[in-house]
Amino acid sequence: MTSAGLQLDRVSRRFDVDGRSLLALDAVSLDAPAGSFIALIGPSGCGKSTLLRMLAGLDQPTSGELRVGGETPLALQQRGALGIAFQEASLLPWRSVESNVRFPFDVIGRMTQADRERVREMIALVGLEGFEQALPSQLSGGMRQRVAIARALVSQPQLLLLDEPFGALDQILRRSMNEELQRLWLNRPVTTVMVTHSVDEAIFLADKVVVMSGRPGRIARVVDIPFPRERPLSLLASAECRELEAELLTLMFEGKPSDQDDSQDECRHG
Amino acid sequence: MAELAGQAQDARKPETRRRPKARYAMPLKIALGWLALLALWEIAGRQQWVAGGALPSPSGILGQLIVDWHDYPEHIRATVRTSLIGFLLGNLVAVLVGFLMASWRPAGRLLSGVNVTLFAMPPIALTPILVIAFDGDAPRIALAALSTYYPTMVATVLGLTRVDARLLDLVRLYGGGRWATLRWIRLRHALPTLLAGLRVAAPNAVLGSLLAEFGSGAGAGLGHYLIGSLGRGDPARLWGIGLVATAISAGFYLSILLLARGWVGRQAPAQESLGGSSSGSMSRAGRLLCLAISVTLPVLLWWAAVWGLERVGVSPFVLRSPPELVVELFSTMRPESLTRIVGGALAQTVPWCLAGMLVGLAFALLLAIVGTLSPVLGRVLMPLSLLTQSMPLVALTPLIVLIFGRDGATILAITISVTFFPAYVTLAQGMALVPAATRDCVRVLGGSRWREIRLVSLPWSLPYLCAAARLVAPRAFLGVMIAEWLATGTGVGNLLNVARGSLDYGLVWAVVVAAVLVSVLLYLAVTLIEHWVLKRYAMASAS
Repeated sequence: MTSAGLQLDRVSRRFDVDGRSLLALDAVSLDAPAGSFIALIGPSGCGKSTLLRMLAGLDQPTSGELRVGGETPLALQQRGALGIAFQEASLLPWRSVESNVRFPFDVIGRMTQADRERVREMIALVGLEGFEQALPSQLSGGMRQRVAIARALVSQPQLLLLDEPFGALDQILRRSMNEELQRLWLNRPVTTVMVTHSVDEAIFLADKVVVMSGRPGRIARVVDIPFPRERPLSLLASAECRELEAELLTLMFEGKPSDQDDSQDECRHG
Repeated sequence: MAELAGQAQDARKPETRRRPKARYAMPLKIALGWLALLALWEIAGRQQWVAGGALPSPSGILGQLIVDWHDYPEHIRATVRTSLIGFLLGNLVAVLVGFLMASWRPAGRLLSGVNVTLFAMPPIALTPILVIAFDGDAPRIALAALSTYYPTMVATVLGLTRVDARLLDLVRLYGGGRWATLRWIRLRHALPTLLAGLRVAAPNAVLGSLLAEFGSGAGAGLGHYLIGSLGRGDPARLWGIGLVATAISAGFYLSILLLARGWVGRQAPAQESLGGSSSGSMSRAGRLLCLAISVTLPVLLWWAAVWGLERVGVSPFVLRSPPELVVELFSTMRPESLTRIVGGALAQTVPWCLAGMLVGLAFALLLAIVGTLSPVLGRVLMPLSLLTQSMPLVALTPLIVLIFGRDGATILAITISVTFFPAYVTLAQGMALVPAATRDCVRVLGGSRWREIRLVSLPWSLPYLCAAARLVAPRAFLGVMIAEWLATGTGVGNLLNVARGSLDYGLVWAVVVAAVLVSVLLYLAVTLIEHWVLKRYAMASAS
């Protein structure tokens, strides 16, 4: 399976809360080519997670269209072509590491010899060889998160969704996991959408950083990250990176959509 | 469900690390505490300190048990057989209903009346009717099954529904539907919770079986043996029977515990969510309709049961359908109207129940506080409390009768003892959950231990106190009735006993229905108070 580009066309999502209608996402449009890494940042309640859930086919837009490689997320679901990792590792506590990584194949309902091989390979890739039979409760937080990443990638998805995957880890562990994720991703660049609160994580990993503003959720700006791959962690200390970080932080705190003229080709916001 | 919640909370507690020396000091102190208690008991027994020998020494009890041993196997077999069959039947129904409620939301609403009735209903109240309607093992099996139902049903629903939403998302993300969710997540997730529910249900089954032997002609069974021995006034034998009944109950409990350990390890059972059930998207009219149906359903079930019993050949003479009973209740043909008789009995029973409950709760609160001040005391008391949870209430009663005589003091003692232990367990577990950081806030400001308890631990335990009150209310009512039946010959308990003897079937049904109704109302009243308190203090329910 090859990975797929994203097309979001005026996607809106309304929630009914206590009888009031709440606009969580207001006509968000975005295009991204196949194989790009997109980071969604923004204040809490700006609709990042709503957007991610819709890309996962777990929620449907009230209006507008989402396409992944021309297909709806639901169609991708049916083919088992999605992968996801959450903030908490969300492993099945009764399954071993190996069994947790294998889980997508159990749900999809087919597992070839190649898939079996792939499970082994993923466990090795995230550095958990020798822990195949360990239970989640016997692992550290970082190891659990590695299992979750391996699980998300094992079915070779066309779209990888990451919901603050390292949000529960400490800063040092987070950096090393960022490095590891970049390595995995460069190994096979899959279209990836990651929600994060950490601006430097977004800069380090993403090709494009989508800055969102809240209430209602809109895209404030899409910023291309110019740094070449493979990026070293020392990049984060460089002056260019610091400058970019400051710019993104300002955008986030302004919390207002920018003017139409400022928008980039990929971004048409409502 | 306090226990379910308690275990889940236990599992969350971070492991405490102590210095090597301290690690051995604690178990040693606990063991010494237990030995001291046992020694004190032995001395008290030998010296006949308590009520002229009503409390025999442990060695005396053991000796009597060996002397009587030839009597036991038959009774033990009967009790184990009937409680086991009832346990299986009751759990089967409970799991099926649990599945229904978990997969179809309105079912929970519609069945809430039946569920509350089955939870709050004192099993002893059904005994006279079961004994009238069935013979052989059937009353015991039926009562064991009815006593089993509630904890298992709740555990099934909790286990199937309180699943990490992200795990469900994960299955959906890979294209899995309802069936895949059930197969890969819900069933396996429900297992530890279900097993914890079965563990609570097991002693209930034994209690149900024993209670159904009250006033029945059953020839074998520990309940029967107990009542037969009550008149002989041999304390050591009564204690022996009580201990054997407790051992059976604890055996049930432990075998399920071991099964769970082997099967699901130490995975924690799910907890009831804080904040209660959401009203969902149902309209006001829909909710009212559900409420009406749920209140009517227990009555309809009663009616259907009477109809069914008549079909299988039970004499209509001993049965009363709801309308028949209403007519009889207000009939002027009787020398003394049923409402007067039953009302008079209730007026005797209810005040004792309330008094015992309040004192029991107060004791539990006091001891839970002392327990936070002295951890050793807490850890000696906790196993004892858990033991009495699995001790069948009826086994306890004759012993209390021996000590306190046959008057009000006995009623009070029994009610306090049945309310104290479960309330203590709930409260102690609640107090153990006070966040260390909150406690430290008081300490850092130079507050004393007492101030910390007053400002932090006590308010914190308020939801647990409310939950405890709700849990123990039906037990308190049951305790009073058992005491009245066996000891004092007063109130509703006595009426349950004598009505059947006098062949006044109208009275039997009136008392049974009144006892069930009052117990349910008592439970609902405590629930209302709980709601009010929690709302006032902006807290979430603790069970």
